[in-house]
Amino acid sequence: MAGSTARGDGLARAALVRLVRDEGRRVLATLVRLTGDLQLAEDAVQDATVRALESWPRDGVPAEPRAWLTLTARRRAIDLIRREGARDGKEAGTVVPPEPSTPEPPEVLRDDLLRLVFTCCHPSLAVETQVALALRTLCGLTTAEVARALLVPEATMNKRLTRAKQKIARAAIPYRVPEDHELPDRLRGVVATVYLLFNEGYAATAGDDPLRPALVDEAVRLTRLLRELMPGEPSVLGLLALELLQDSRRDARYDRDGLPVLLADQDRGRWRHGLVEEGVVLVGEGLRRSPGRPDPYVVQAAIAACHALAPSYPDTDWSAVLSWYDVLLSVQDTAVVRLNRAVAVGEQQGPGAGLAEVEAVTGLEEYALWHAARAELLARLARTDEARAAYAAALALPQNTAQHAHLRERLHALDGISPPGPAPGS
Amino acid sequence: MPSYIALIYNADVDWSAAEHSETMAEYGEFGRAAAAVIRGGAALYPTSTATTVRVHGGKGGDVVTTDGPYAETKEALTGFYLFECADLDEAVATAARIPGARDGAIEVRPVIPPMQR
Repeated sequence: MAGSTARGDGLARAALVRLVRDEGRRVLATLVRLTGDLQLAEDAVQDATVRALESWPRDGVPAEPRAWLTLTARRRAIDLIRREGARDGKEAGTVVPPEPSTPEPPEVLRDDLLRLVFTCCHPSLAVETQVALALRTLCGLTTAEVARALLVPEATMNKRLTRAKQKIARAAIPYRVPEDHELPDRLRGVVATVYLLFNEGYAATAGDDPLRPALVDEAVRLTRLLRELMPGEPSVLGLLALELLQDSRRDARYDRDGLPVLLADQDRGRWRHGLVEEGVVLVGEGLRRSPGRPDPYVVQAAIAACHALAPSYPDTDWSAVLSWYDVLLSVQDTAVVRLNRAVAVGEQQGPGAGLAEVEAVTGLEEYALWHAARAELLARLARTDEARAAYAAALALPQNTAQHAHLRERLHALDGISPPGPAPGS
Repeated sequence: MPSYIALIYNADVDWSAAEHSETMAEYGEFGRAAAAVIRGGAALYPTSTATTVRVHGGKGGDVVTTDGPYAETKEALTGFYLFECADLDEAVATAARIPGARDGAIEVRPVIPPMQR
């Protein structure tokens, strides 16, 4: 850690920025506990990280980077409180406790972070606000970066974050770990927020600002942190497994033109097998820890694992996939889950059976992928006119540009190329 | 400790009428159960008894009154409580026990503490 190797070296500079950011969020959590004020803590930590990035390349990284950052941020916080007090002409309301003589034990830091997680993902905040706050405070992105990553103008994002911090302070949103009886509910909220963050990045395409796909990495990092903080929570294990298994396909999901490549057509050699292995192990652990009622994230990860472990698309163990979908329906019965199950039926039992299942799913008439699934199965059944109409219906609904281009291509193929041969299983 | 106002929005009915005595008894029960955090509160007569007041033309200007509530909505402000709670979680948990939360909605708002007024 020591030494001034960072100077002039871009890679080392990036590592340094990473280190400062990783430690910065831990220091922020501690400062929130010390000051009880998220905005003040943020300002103080921001100042400390700027100083670190100035002085560490010059003087070398201190032996205890976190202690250095905490000390610097604490001093800055005291300065800010004094300045505030002088301006208001009264005694400062916030008091920072004196510096401890020994470094704080790891449990204290763990609890600091955990409290901050539950504050940022408090159900009294709108979900999109939770996502933005998590990126700002738990991932350490700047407001400008959060704005770019979430496709919101910076001024709007700044206002949203300021309002959120104001609500936390004024409405006294607690800074504490929920009690045992409320923990399952609150943890569900945290996991849903992090998964939303992951999906923001996962839905991004090659042409987007690179900060958007990088949200996947932020979400994975945040989930790893949750696992560290709450080891053995099935939903956290399931979320991490699901993220890793989905992300393992990162390099194969888009072709050179940025068009999405269907799971069936992906080059499986380009999947990241290390992530698959880690994900599969996590699925096993998640299942062992929720034997009575499987966690929905663990089950979704199990389905992703069936795909990840299949040597090729036709060799997918569709009966295993279907069984897992049945389990998923028993804990999370939604129309989208039913649609995905119907698609799996189409793969296992042929397009006729699949189509009947897809058409039995109601309530997705405004959902592009329902029409797309229908169109695909109709095309396989050589019911070309109906397939054409279904593709047109799918194209008329909201979706990302890559998906849109993909469907247009399928529609054009209908007219030029004859439908593919018999589907697997038929 | 922070204070919160809990504004109760429900069907615009006359709580003083005999037909609502059961609900009023439930409120009485809630009042006793949550006595530790309740600092005040009241049920209100229906909005048909409301008078809305405005002053036109600045300070000392014309007092203009209109018959009825500030806003005509399907659900009306029918009562309120003032709570003093440890944090928002306690305020929300308390608001969730107000009988009106079951057939209406409770808006929980933090109150600016006197020293900052």
